[in-house]
Amino acid sequence: MPIRVDPKFIDVLDHYGAEDVQLCYQCGDCSTVCPHADEIYKFPRKSMRLLQMGLSQKIETTLEPWLCYYCGQCSTQCPREADPGETMMSLRRWLISRYDFTGIAALFFKSRRIEILSVLFISLLTGIFLGYYGFSGGSVHIYDGEGAFLPSTFIHQFDLMVGAILAVFLVVNAIHMWYLVMIKGTTFSVPWWLYLKELYQLPWHFFTQKRYSECEKKHKHPFFMPWFIHLGLMLGYVTMLVIVMVFIEELQAGPEIHWPVHIFGYLATIGLLSGTIYFIRKRLKKNYVQYKKSHGTDWVFVTLLFIIVLTGIFQHVFHRTGLFELANITYVFHLMVVVPWLLRMPFTKWAHLIYRPMAMYLAAIRRDAIIRQKVVTDPYLVLIK
Amino acid sequence: MNNCRTGVYICSCGTNIAKIVDVDAVVSFAAGLPDVVLARTYKYMCSNPGQEMITQDIRENHLDRVVVAACSPNMHERTFRTALKSACLNQYLLEMANIREQCSWVHTDPIEATEKAKALVHAAICRVRLHESLDSISVRMCPNVLVIGGGIAGMTAALELADAGNTVYLVEKDDHLGGNLARVDLTAPYLYSATDLLTERITRILDSEKVNVFLASKVTELTGFIGNFKATIQSPNVKLAAYNKPVEVEIGNVVVCTGYKEFDASRIIHYGYGKLPNVITSFELEKMIRTGRIETKEGKIPGYVAIIHCVGSRSQEFHTYCSRVCCMTALKYAQEIKSAIPGCYISDVYIDMHAFGKGHEDFYRRSSEAKTLFLMYEKGDRPVIHKASPKDDCEMLIEVNEKLSGELIEIPADLIILMVGMEAREDSHEIARIVNISQDKDGWFIESHPKLEPVATTTDGIFIAGTCVAPKDIPDTVAQSRAAAARILGRIAKGRIEVDALYSEVNEDKCSGCRFCNQLCPFSAIEFDKEKGHSHIISALCKGCGVCVAACPSSAIRGRHFTDEQLLAQIDGLFYDYG
Repeated sequence: MPIRVDPKFIDVLDHYGAEDVQLCYQCGDCSTVCPHADEIYKFPRKSMRLLQMGLSQKIETTLEPWLCYYCGQCSTQCPREADPGETMMSLRRWLISRYDFTGIAALFFKSRRIEILSVLFISLLTGIFLGYYGFSGGSVHIYDGEGAFLPSTFIHQFDLMVGAILAVFLVVNAIHMWYLVMIKGTTFSVPWWLYLKELYQLPWHFFTQKRYSECEKKHKHPFFMPWFIHLGLMLGYVTMLVIVMVFIEELQAGPEIHWPVHIFGYLATIGLLSGTIYFIRKRLKKNYVQYKKSHGTDWVFVTLLFIIVLTGIFQHVFHRTGLFELANITYVFHLMVVVPWLLRMPFTKWAHLIYRPMAMYLAAIRRDAIIRQKVVTDPYLVLIK
Repeated sequence: MNNCRTGVYICSCGTNIAKIVDVDAVVSFAAGLPDVVLARTYKYMCSNPGQEMITQDIRENHLDRVVVAACSPNMHERTFRTALKSACLNQYLLEMANIREQCSWVHTDPIEATEKAKALVHAAICRVRLHESLDSISVRMCPNVLVIGGGIAGMTAALELADAGNTVYLVEKDDHLGGNLARVDLTAPYLYSATDLLTERITRILDSEKVNVFLASKVTELTGFIGNFKATIQSPNVKLAAYNKPVEVEIGNVVVCTGYKEFDASRIIHYGYGKLPNVITSFELEKMIRTGRIETKEGKIPGYVAIIHCVGSRSQEFHTYCSRVCCMTALKYAQEIKSAIPGCYISDVYIDMHAFGKGHEDFYRRSSEAKTLFLMYEKGDRPVIHKASPKDDCEMLIEVNEKLSGELIEIPADLIILMVGMEAREDSHEIARIVNISQDKDGWFIESHPKLEPVATTTDGIFIAGTCVAPKDIPDTVAQSRAAAARILGRIAKGRIEVDALYSEVNEDKCSGCRFCNQLCPFSAIEFDKEKGHSHIISALCKGCGVCVAACPSSAIRGRHFTDEQLLAQIDGLFYDYG
């Protein structure tokens, strides 16, 4: 059965940032320079082609966009300036909206206004709720313990609730991703034990982002590699998330410093602060191809994170220096950004925290299965990346 | 036989000849032959020092025959004839032995090849003894020109010739000028209006006193030879002549610009042309564009348009050649349709994108920027057009194996444009017969040399230009027309024309008047003189091919420079036993 070409799809992807795809004439330069493309996962050329032809039902089952870390070499090499790197980025955005069953992600990517309004709305709602809670039961002069404005036990419960909502969305979307890739998009049989064999891929790629480091050949010192900064940012983020979700009581206690907990907080803050500053700077300077075209959602992401880090630092400093009223007010503002930020997660770029390692995992399973059965997926393109 | 003084020159041709043939051995062999005054070798005989060596030897040693053993006479006979001329020796007293193409290039054994070279040189020496001094003939060049075809090619040539002050007879079979270009709206890649290109020319031609335009007319007969042709034009519109009475004009040269016709798309059944109402040809779309409304037969604005390339071109079943203009025309449509209907999606189904001309690659890029979807199909694996089902949002579906993705796909389309290729006109065979030129397997007229003589033909005085030679775009067509005009103007400027002395002669005493030769002559150079009862060869038209010489049952015809005696002497020389 022939697959229907959809010439309109290219216009849909315009909202996700793929503007120059139709310039591509399939020379394959991009796949040749790509350090990650191989015989089984052929990209960006083939992904570009599927997108040009609007074969969305094929693209949603592919993992290739997740295997790209946007080093930008393909876009630099492209003789037609078709920007394959940005196309892969746009496809990741589109896939996030495709995995999301609610349709919220698609709305966010398509309309900046809706995204910002929803952030403001959740933010206000959080502010009103926390303000009401604080003033009805506690005192703005007390930061922690008995009669606190926002007692840590309450915040802990609040955090867990937000975390649970987040987890539901993420798990459902990840299952959807698995369904699309491994059931809908896999025509050959995959033995169950491959899922066990490759299970180590999940933590390995989550914590090291090894493949990202393989992209960066042009930066001599690892300290200046986006991979290193990105890893710091991500580890800082995850550490902070664990501290907030599990050790919030110890974190909020004070004013003396609890080194066993706070040392992790400080390290995480360094990672987060340097990461956000680095990426904001790159996006403003635009001197690397991968930072030239920032999508609106990229800016919302990095700006909100920067505000969270700043308010978190201020709140900590105010508390430790005895300015409890200021600390409490900053705390409310901090949470007013944190809550919409967390709830926004499954529908935005942030979700790649889950999808990337998941994609590496599934890609490894698929590769094993293909090699095992010597399945030639495409007679035309075996020799071409 | 008089003793003659022959000079023999053996060329090494760099190492082309010398690496297989022992040139020094050939030189010493030749030097020992009777009548040979001197024999020399040189690295490049055709070079200036080589030619000067020959000229000087003729003067100093009073040579009266020259043999050059080198490459093919096709390559350098003219060069060495000039060398003879500049030493005041008749140019026909030269004979060339081809020891390159016919010896060193095709043999590997040096000893055998050297022996063969010796034989060839000996044969040439034997032949040249019998050469005669011949004089080239010179004929009057009539300055009038006949141009057949009133398209862009014909009009350009006509204007170029008329502007130089010559009378031009422009014969057009249609009742208007403009040809195929008049059916086009804009031209790729600069989007000039075809009407603008044509109007200026048509007005100038109609206003010109020098150009006589014959519309709805045909050339029915052409007799005579270069500089002295007589053409018969069948025309309904000549005021002086009675209705339908042919007009006879005297001309010196002819430019044939009869153009092309488009491929009949209904020959490809896969495309359903003629059956599916919204499958149209590129010329039908041009018509729509000129009326200002691109729509389906039902009057709807198409949401999807598909353009299929190479309809009739580049296929084993129809025409193997590329029609050259369709790729750019298709890109032009993609851009025109997108700008006329911004909500319309255009798919461009092609085999290869040939964007070779000036500005073409940029034009291709602009079509990509207009978000045209380019889909590639394999040559020989043609797309198939189906009607879509009612629940689809399109009229038709094109099924094709897409080469770049390797997927079997279907493309939605409301309107499908077939880029019909160019083919030779049906009447081109008749034209070829009338003006005595040849056609290739596809019906295109054959040029005298595809690279060095692109507008001349094997019949002197007949030139070809534009798409009757092969598919080409407007700039190439115009360039050819102007080239043909320039060639003719050069000849007109001379007033007379030198014709090669290699023609045949009829010995009137021997001729029985059987007229065998009249029919055999490929150049229509033999007339029959009814009064005297024998055939006569028009020397200016004769190419000296020798067909009549061989055919004449009374041996009444003699080929100058190719007499029986000369040929027999050459053969004797070749088979001489050197011992």
